[in-house]
Amino acid sequence: MYKRILVAYDGSDGARAALKQGIALADALEAEISCLMVEEHLPHYAASISEVKAAKEQIDEHFRTLAKQARDLAALGGIDMDVIVRQGHEVETIVNTAKAGHFDLLVVGYHGHSAIFGRIMGSTAQSIVRLSPCPVLLAK
Amino acid sequence: MENVWILAAVWVGLALVATLVAIWLKISTALSEIVVGTVAQLIIGVIVGPNALGSSTAWVSFLAGTGAIVLTFLAGAELDPDVFRLKWKEAVVVGLAGFGAPFLGAAAAARYVLGWDVGPSWLAGVALSTTSVAVVYAVMLELGFNVTEYGKAILAACFVNDLGTVLALGLIFSPFTLRTLVFVLVSAVVFFLLPIVTPRFFRRYGGRVSELETKFILLALFGMGGVALWAGSEPVLPAYVIGMLLAGSVGKDHLRIRRLRTLTFGLLTPFYFIRAGSFVSVPALAAAPVVFSVLFFAKMVSKMLGVFPAVKAFRYEPQETMYYTLMMSTGLTFGTISALFGLSHGIITPGQYSHLVAAVIGSAVIPTLIANALFMPVHLRGGDTGEPAPTAAPREVVRGGTDHV
Repeated sequence: MYKRILVAYDGSDGARAALKQGIALADALEAEISCLMVEEHLPHYAASISEVKAAKEQIDEHFRTLAKQARDLAALGGIDMDVIVRQGHEVETIVNTAKAGHFDLLVVGYHGHSAIFGRIMGSTAQSIVRLSPCPVLLAK
Repeated sequence: MENVWILAAVWVGLALVATLVAIWLKISTALSEIVVGTVAQLIIGVIVGPNALGSSTAWVSFLAGTGAIVLTFLAGAELDPDVFRLKWKEAVVVGLAGFGAPFLGAAAAARYVLGWDVGPSWLAGVALSTTSVAVVYAVMLELGFNVTEYGKAILAACFVNDLGTVLALGLIFSPFTLRTLVFVLVSAVVFFLLPIVTPRFFRRYGGRVSELETKFILLALFGMGGVALWAGSEPVLPAYVIGMLLAGSVGKDHLRIRRLRTLTFGLLTPFYFIRAGSFVSVPALAAAPVVFSVLFFAKMVSKMLGVFPAVKAFRYEPQETMYYTLMMSTGLTFGTISALFGLSHGIITPGQYSHLVAAVIGSAVIPTLIANALFMPVHLRGGDTGEPAPTAAPREVVRGGTDHV
């Protein structure tokens, strides 16, 4: 059924649930699985390179930790998994990666914003569902 | 306010608020601190009194001044000597054009369009001649240009541009007396000896808990800053040069830079930027928005006129040239340092200071937005195929527990 699965992971509870679902599906369907993490932006209009470098070091460290978490979960399930870190807007990067990598299933976590916030801003998950080139599994 | 600890708590509280605002809005702490300083002065000034924030007290001035000096040292120390050697011709030509054109253009606009006196006009030229290496570096790093020849050339040119600004600030307003000669001679000796002595001294006595290296660097910065001030010059001038001279040794010691960074951003620069913001008069800005527009466009237009042909001479494509030019049109740290120098030395009025700082902040934001929206040379981003580009940071791909960077 699904041959290439992409899981979006940011370390949140919802994303962790998504990763577990993705790993279980990949195992059951013998599909390839990749885990995508999207880096947040560096501080804009910094006063010194030191500030930028410090922010970059913190971001890199954060994503190294997340990558290890994802890797450990995949190892527990006995699965080979790519962990990809990309920079950019969260929704745009996830959708573009799914398109470019010809994934046929996208697994994302449910963040649980308030109803008002969701109506006004539109949640990340809602935007991904709307723009994704492939079916989306929303894990909770 | 006489209670120094209450006042200190107010300043550190403002720094904390600025940091939170920076996190929420994903902007730099420095920019946030300037804005928080402006708003705090406006509110506290109305409620308690114009001097309640104590921006002009000796200890706040000292901490803020130290922040500017160490920040400038770090800016110089972050020069990559290898990149500069590789691209020195281009960096010198573009950097000098990037300094010279807006220096003359903005000074002329202040003098002949706004009718400012000669001193304030030259100060406007200096404050608006800058580029912001940090703003440019963040964009380069985020978009992956920092590892390309193109991005390295832009960064090297930015260093030369800022060196021109710092030299102009340190020399134009100096009275040129016997003290100036002494300052130049002492500088020559110290600048010759520091790159030789420092690495050896650190190897022999460094690496201890007592932080000998930090004390040594502060001694050099304060000592040369003191001589500069005695000669009627500006302490950030020797700080930037010392930073550049030690870039190959201290600048490559990441742990040392990280410790200095903690001292600088944790304590010193909040005082500098909040103080710089606290002198901005919102009523003055609101009363004459045209002045801000004239200064801002004077910088943008003269940067275009100077930098575009200089970059074009190195055979870049039009889109690459425009992006390069817009990156060189940014400004923040040295712009505010120059404006504050002018205010504290009575060269410019609080109103002129407010307009200059507003124009400097505008130049930090607007050129990068236009450049990234309209002129980004995506073809230079490491063989871009529509995918996000690699940056200097590790792009981790993990397969079966094996990392491939």
